[in-house]
Amino acid sequence: MDQKEKRLIKKVKKGDHQAFAELVDRYKNSVYTICLRMVGSREEAEDLSQEAFIRAYNHISQFDSDRNFSTWIFRIATNLSIDSLRRKKPSVSLDAEIPGTEGLALNTILPGGETPPDEQIVRDETEKWIQHEIGELPEKYRSAVILKYIEDLSLKEISEIMNIPVGTVKTRVHRGRELLRKNMKASRGEEDDML
Amino acid sequence: MTCFNKKYVSLMNKVLDDEATKSERDELFAHLATCENCRRHFQELKQSTELLNQLVHPQLPIDFTKNVLEQLPAEKRHAIRKWTSRHPFIAAAAVCALPMSLIVIAAGRQNMVQGKTDRDRFILLKAPENRL
Ligand SMILES: [Zn+2]
Repeated sequence: MDQKEKRLIKKVKKGDHQAFAELVDRYKNSVYTICLRMVGSREEAEDLSQEAFIRAYNHISQFDSDRNFSTWIFRIATNLSIDSLRRKKPSVSLDAEIPGTEGLALNTILPGGETPPDEQIVRDETEKWIQHEIGELPEKYRSAVILKYIEDLSLKEISEIMNIPVGTVKTRVHRGRELLRKNMKASRGEEDDML
Repeated sequence: MTCFNKKYVSLMNKVLDDEATKSERDELFAHLATCENCRRHFQELKQSTELLNQLVHPQLPIDFTKNVLEQLPAEKRHAIRKWTSRHPFIAAAAVCALPMSLIVIAAGRQNMVQGKTDRDRFILLKAPENRL
């Protein structure tokens, strides 16, 4: 971690909001990208990013200044995203029917009449397709692949963020990459004649 | 003819990870020249990660940082003192409102401490690995 950042952390630990604002500005876009690619919705990713920074601030006393702040905030962001994916998983399908509302899909009777999150994600079709394919990956491969290929982090950095050995990161990147290849090919309707 | 040689898949991984030696690269590319299946497989692997690289990095709204700051617990005393020396008039006005705001802050603190700590610990301390 550079000296400037060390000084900022020191100030944040004393409760300096302005110093924290500088840290937020440094890392907000990376944090947002991680959350966005993990959960797929811009709006949700924005909330998660905000929550990640607020948590980082509230627990700054637990942060070891000899480590990288980026590693820490990326870890919080990844964990919050996974947490949010899990909380959503067992929920009722938006197409499910509630007794007494025959014929009405759940998403048409939800308060607020909001666009379902899936539709606000990314307008562009390719972008949408790629995001969909990322979302098909199991969480542990998804996070490894996002940190490696979207955040361009080294295996070493990823291993620190995820707190797993470099070898495990490598395996996850390989499996994620292979799964992505296979799924992308299948979704284009091509046959996979290998492996 | 279909090639099922796993050896080449592991060479592909090494090359894609930038960890292959010169002779390993040569070996892979010599094979790719003769094996259409492996060639296609390698192309597809490269292509899928290149697609990830092309994803846009959308921008957050301009007031993101401001919104985060607004949700932080109030600054500690020394920071406030620094601020009041720069803004004496507002500070004087604020003193009048102080007793009320202290009550609000105290109540807010209490809620935070009670409700959030368990999940916080979960998010902060456990690496993603341990939670899978
Ligand atoms: Zn082959």
